[in-house]
Amino acid sequence: MKAERIIWRLLPLVPAMIVLATWSVYWAIAQPPPSVMPSVAAVIRTFGELVMGDRLGNDIVASMARLLGGVAFGVVTGMIAGFVAGLNKPIAEFVNPLVVFFNAISGIVWLPLVIGWLGIGSPLAIFLIWNTVFFIVYQNTVLGVQLVPEVLEHGIRTLGANRWETVWSVTLPGALPYILSGIRSGLGFGWRALIAAELVGATTGLGQLIFSGSEYHRADIIICGCLIIGAIATAMDRCLLLPIERRTVQRWGLVAPDRSR
Amino acid sequence: MRRRLRSFGGLLRNVRVLLPFIVLIAIWWGIKSGFGVSDRLLVAPPAVWSSFVTLVSHGILAEYASTSLQLIGIAALVSFAAGVPIGFAVGANRYAARSLEGFLRFFQGISGIAWLPLAILWFGFTHTTTLAIVIYTLIVPIIFNTMVGVRAIPENYVLALRSLGASRLRIVRDVYLPGALPSIVVGTRLGMGYGWRALIASEMLVRQGGLGDLIFGARTFNQIDRIMVGMIVIGCLYIVVDRLLVQPVETMTLARWGVLRR
Repeated sequence: MKAERIIWRLLPLVPAMIVLATWSVYWAIAQPPPSVMPSVAAVIRTFGELVMGDRLGNDIVASMARLLGGVAFGVVTGMIAGFVAGLNKPIAEFVNPLVVFFNAISGIVWLPLVIGWLGIGSPLAIFLIWNTVFFIVYQNTVLGVQLVPEVLEHGIRTLGANRWETVWSVTLPGALPYILSGIRSGLGFGWRALIAAELVGATTGLGQLIFSGSEYHRADIIICGCLIIGAIATAMDRCLLLPIERRTVQRWGLVAPDRSR
Repeated sequence: MRRRLRSFGGLLRNVRVLLPFIVLIAIWWGIKSGFGVSDRLLVAPPAVWSSFVTLVSHGILAEYASTSLQLIGIAALVSFAAGVPIGFAVGANRYAARSLEGFLRFFQGISGIAWLPLAILWFGFTHTTTLAIVIYTLIVPIIFNTMVGVRAIPENYVLALRSLGASRLRIVRDVYLPGALPSIVVGTRLGMGYGWRALIASEMLVRQGGLGDLIFGARTFNQIDRIMVGMIVIGCLYIVVDRLLVQPVETMTLARWGVLRR
């Protein structure tokens, strides 16, 4: 019984073990050039060097600052626009074709045009993240606002609430699960947009770290960079967004939004 | 009379779709000529139109667009054909699901485009690099959502069918497949959203044709008109693919088997 529980606990480590084992065996047999495929030991050594050096810290800070700026901007503007459109059906219907179109080109597609406006650097990355997050948050906010049962709004109005109070204490909490679900998937898209933007449109950041790895033929740096990118994304999703979302759904959730991620 | 009414309704709907764009183009034109924005930053709508005509008449646009569509098509087929069976295999076995869930989630956090530098070292500046990136981007959400879909099916359904003497194949066909389908479709749609952007980004860096190459190449020569044509085409193609292929399938599966959307 106890052994089974330990095995159950250890199961999530199995795929990583298999990958490491395959990689080591392949490396020992094929002996590929380290610039293309480094050994496990070399990657661990590089990881140590990266952690000890200044560059990694600076890159992470640069990337996170851009992400925070872009996402905060996107969430605020997306929510405001979403509430305006969600509460005024004609506006939502009028802008809908534009939203569909600009959502289809949100993010990295803007890069060539916006490089000309903002140059290379943080403003460019923030613009691309904002552009990505805005449409996802907007669409989810509109959906959430429109799905709040009208009965609840009528209920509070008969008790004498004005329009502002109705929005604040009924519509906002009612739409919050959807909004948070939108923020969560917006962050997923935003993180991707950031890395893509930093590959060509920045001089610092995690995207630039891996890009310089390819310029200097340092596969070990690229692999370390990718693992760090994955770890940060997973940590953000698991430790920050999932708990917030869960608590909101428990507290105010009328309907749990479709969570597919 | 009725037909005339219907065509009038259709006209009204077209106007409703086009009107916002007309307003947007007017604003764009107004900003361009009102503030005298330089051609290096923004060009006027007619310039974009004439650039579009040139690109189409020389067959350039068709070539770049077909490269992109071919790549995303191949990647989508491969990812779907490989991802769904893998997802089923993993989802049907609780030990496999337990071990792979975190692993897949972690890899979903590493966007395909982050592997681009490594793929360039491995495959050079070729279509293989782009394909590898797009397949990776597409397949992870497909596997993950298929797995989640299979896991979400109540065990009782399987047990009920089994106690009635159904074969394993029958159970897959009548329980697993319909039960997981809505989730698979959601995963595919998400994957296409990520994949299309990964494709464009990868084409920008690989520079071997495709719409990403078109707009990024135009940047080097400051051809803003060309960039804007490329952006509009990218948006329209994505909407066409999403609306004509993915959305009907989603509506169909949700209408037929939609048990998961609560």
